[in-house]
Amino acid sequence: MKKYLEVAKVYLKVKLMWRADLIFGFISIVMKIIFASLLWGVIFRDKETVAGFMQNSMMAYYLLSAFFTQIDISEKISGDITLGIRNGTFTKYMAVPMDTDKYFLAMEAGSILPHIVLDVAAIFLIGLVFGIKIDITSDVAIILCALLIAFLGLLFMAQLSYFLGILTFRFEEISTFLMIKQNIMALITGSIIPLALLPEMVVKCMQILPFYYTAYLPSMLLIGRNGEEAVGGMFVMLGWNLGIWLLSRNVYSRYRVKYDGAGI
Amino acid sequence: MKDNIRLVKALVKLRFERVMMFRLGFFGPFFVDGSLFVIQLLVFQAIYSKVDRIGNWGQGDMILFIGTFSLINALNMSIYFFGVNSIPEKIRTGEIDLYLTKPVSPLLRLTFEQVNPGALPLVIFSIAIILYGINAAGADVTISSVSGYAVSVGMMTVLFYELEVIIRSLAFFTVSSDGVLQIEMSGLDLCMQIPGTVFYGAYKFVFYYVLPYGIIATYPSLILLGRFSWKMAAHEGIVLACFTMVTVVMWKTGLRRYDSVSS
Repeated sequence: MKKYLEVAKVYLKVKLMWRADLIFGFISIVMKIIFASLLWGVIFRDKETVAGFMQNSMMAYYLLSAFFTQIDISEKISGDITLGIRNGTFTKYMAVPMDTDKYFLAMEAGSILPHIVLDVAAIFLIGLVFGIKIDITSDVAIILCALLIAFLGLLFMAQLSYFLGILTFRFEEISTFLMIKQNIMALITGSIIPLALLPEMVVKCMQILPFYYTAYLPSMLLIGRNGEEAVGGMFVMLGWNLGIWLLSRNVYSRYRVKYDGAGI
Repeated sequence: MKDNIRLVKALVKLRFERVMMFRLGFFGPFFVDGSLFVIQLLVFQAIYSKVDRIGNWGQGDMILFIGTFSLINALNMSIYFFGVNSIPEKIRTGEIDLYLTKPVSPLLRLTFEQVNPGALPLVIFSIAIILYGINAAGADVTISSVSGYAVSVGMMTVLFYELEVIIRSLAFFTVSSDGVLQIEMSGLDLCMQIPGTVFYGAYKFVFYYVLPYGIIATYPSLILLGRFSWKMAAHEGIVLACFTMVTVVMWKTGLRRYDSVSS
């Protein structure tokens, strides 16, 4: 455990050195809020509520979901692994006396901390500038459930990125696929629009998938909605985390032998 | 002029030969950008299931807007994006030297040396979205409106190109252009999701005059929707003329300032 803690510390320091990444994250949240305020500002001129949202709750949703989306920086894991395998530098992860999956999880944990701190400050600042009142639910149990689901969501996304990264052993070129994945994720995690706007049947299907729980459900729980899904959500995410962990282990042990350390 | 056309033809031919070697990545831009615009259509489908109009934009109008942005983006990806996108890296590594020593315009070569035929199906896909949008909007399409639309799309494709060149030419003057590229990406993301007519105040100033992404798909769409005015036409022409001048000045000043690897 101590060695993984050291890895997390190293990446925390690296993140603090490359502060520009943190600023870009801030810009990204601001742009999402500008998008939401322009789009929904026009819509709410003619209507009072849309899919149960009033203008302020809609903006609060966007602010919270932008936060949860922004702190997920796991995409880098796939990129690093792909690049390492293609360039033949993945050997360094195999050579260290650590499990590669845990190494990347520790890397993610260390990198994510400054993002969480800065993005929390960012959402309060942006909320203040745009006049968005974030009415967080007063139910402590729901808040804890939301935070736990968000944590499990981050863990899942990191494991998914690791899994997709190691698929490079098998498929060699996955960058196109990763870009398509990013596009799809923007919709199915509810970061472009709240999933409540989609047809009920589609939402029911999405509840089976883990992406529903990464940004959408935690945001909805925090603004005091969908409380009945909190406990179920935790179990769904635990199941998905276990599933992807087993799958990654299996794929890694099966395909790592294809790697010859010379690159592609 | 004749020499330039010969050069462009030769660059396109070389590029075709190269991309054909990597067949898996050949249609990459089509799938990546195609999925982006399909998702955008789904997003607005979901929004329009709850509301009738967004401002004065109905669902058909919005589909037409998305299709137009997709078309301009497809032309961008097919013709010049990959070449122009490599400018900052080439400045940083000093590779621009190779372009300066050749007896052809460095910018012309950079623009056309990485054309991407894999993005061409995106043009067909975009035209299909536009036709669907015209039908859904019930737009009264005439030969003059289609001609006007084609001219406007051409002008906005050039404007898009100029914006890309200007932003990437900043690498001549700065250590890193990553921050500006990030702002460009965020601005583009925003403007491909909302028609420019929705902007007001400072947003309108920024996205109509400073980084005019707000007019890129909006003005051509308004021509087909019959809501385009002479004032908009004048604005479109003036913006294009101004940005053409800025591009030329910026590129030439940048080249004068460029002192090889240490730039």
